Amino acid sequence: MTTRDEDFAKKITTYLDHGTADLKAGTAYRLQLARAEALARLADADRVAEFRVAGAHAGSGSVTAGGSRRFWASGRVWIGIALIGAAVFGYQQWQAYQLQNDIEEMDAAILSSDLPIDAYLDRGFQNWLKHASFE
Amino acid sequence: MLALASAHEISVFLAGVERRAFKQAMFAVRDEHGALDIVQDAMLKLTEKYAGKPAAELPMLFQRILQNTIHDHFRRQKVRSTWTTLLSALGKGDEKEDDFDPLETLPAKSDSNSNSDPAQQLEQRQIIATIEHALERLPARQREAFLLRYWEEFDVAETAAAMGCSEGSVKTHCSRAVHALAATLTAKGILP
Repeated sequence: MTTRDEDFAKKITTYLDHGTADLKAGTAYRLQLARAEALARLADADRVAEFRVAGAHAGSGSVTAGGSRRFWASGRVWIGIALIGAAVFGYQQWQAYQLQNDIEEMDAAILSSDLPIDAYLDRGFQNWLKHASFE
Repeated sequence: MLALASAHEISVFLAGVERRAFKQAMFAVRDEHGALDIVQDAMLKLTEKYAGKPAAELPMLFQRILQNTIHDHFRRQKVRSTWTTLLSALGKGDEKEDDFDPLETLPAKSDSNSNSDPAQQLEQRQIIATIEHALERLPARQREAFLLRYWEEFDVAETAAAMGCSEGSVKTHCSRAVHALAATLTAKGILP
């Protein structure tokens, strides 16, 4: 990189600085909100750290704050898993109930009919039925 | 032994870096909402996971987080676009138009030493827009190297560490970026 290149780059970044000063009001406000939220989390993290240290001093011993462990220890995860399991079980039960219902309805229809089921499958019987109805 | 960053130092650091971070994200993703999300995620990650670091390490850490968050955004976008393509038959019209708020287009007040002459202001805005557009069109690694090296004022070693590449690559990326920008701006009649 030559000095000339560096001078050019500096001029460009000066313009970029002016560009950041001219951000839209809404954008600047949202950035402020994002910063405030991040700093609020910082305060929360401090409180959690203090709590952990206090717990460690109280003799709780194993203060391992691994990310994965915290994930599985979260109640929301287990509630979610339980809901998904319940939904799958419920769907299976509903399907089995529907199938049972269909079979029962079919059986009832067949049994309540005067004709044997084979008659409906017999093409000759169907032809006779048509001619008989015309006469 | 470096002193750990206090909450006030982190707050001052974030306030100083947030606008540049937003612009960096904008150059990369070219979407305001996406860029805002990226900056917010990067800030949250910094305060949640790295608040216990010395104040001197914050710029480097934040830049690493920011670049990784931008890369994650592209990965997620790729997955989302795959699903969008698959489900396009069920898609409805573009509803983004409803989100437009004319008040948001007003520039934020700043304490910058801006010119009071409207013509000069307009000209400056046009130059800035052209430069930003030229930066958007640079290859991602060149843009990243240029912004970290010259805008964030990292040295070559810090830029290389933030980008996860060699110092030689940083120099090459920076040189190419500068020449590409110079060529683009000269072609548009702008000589900063």
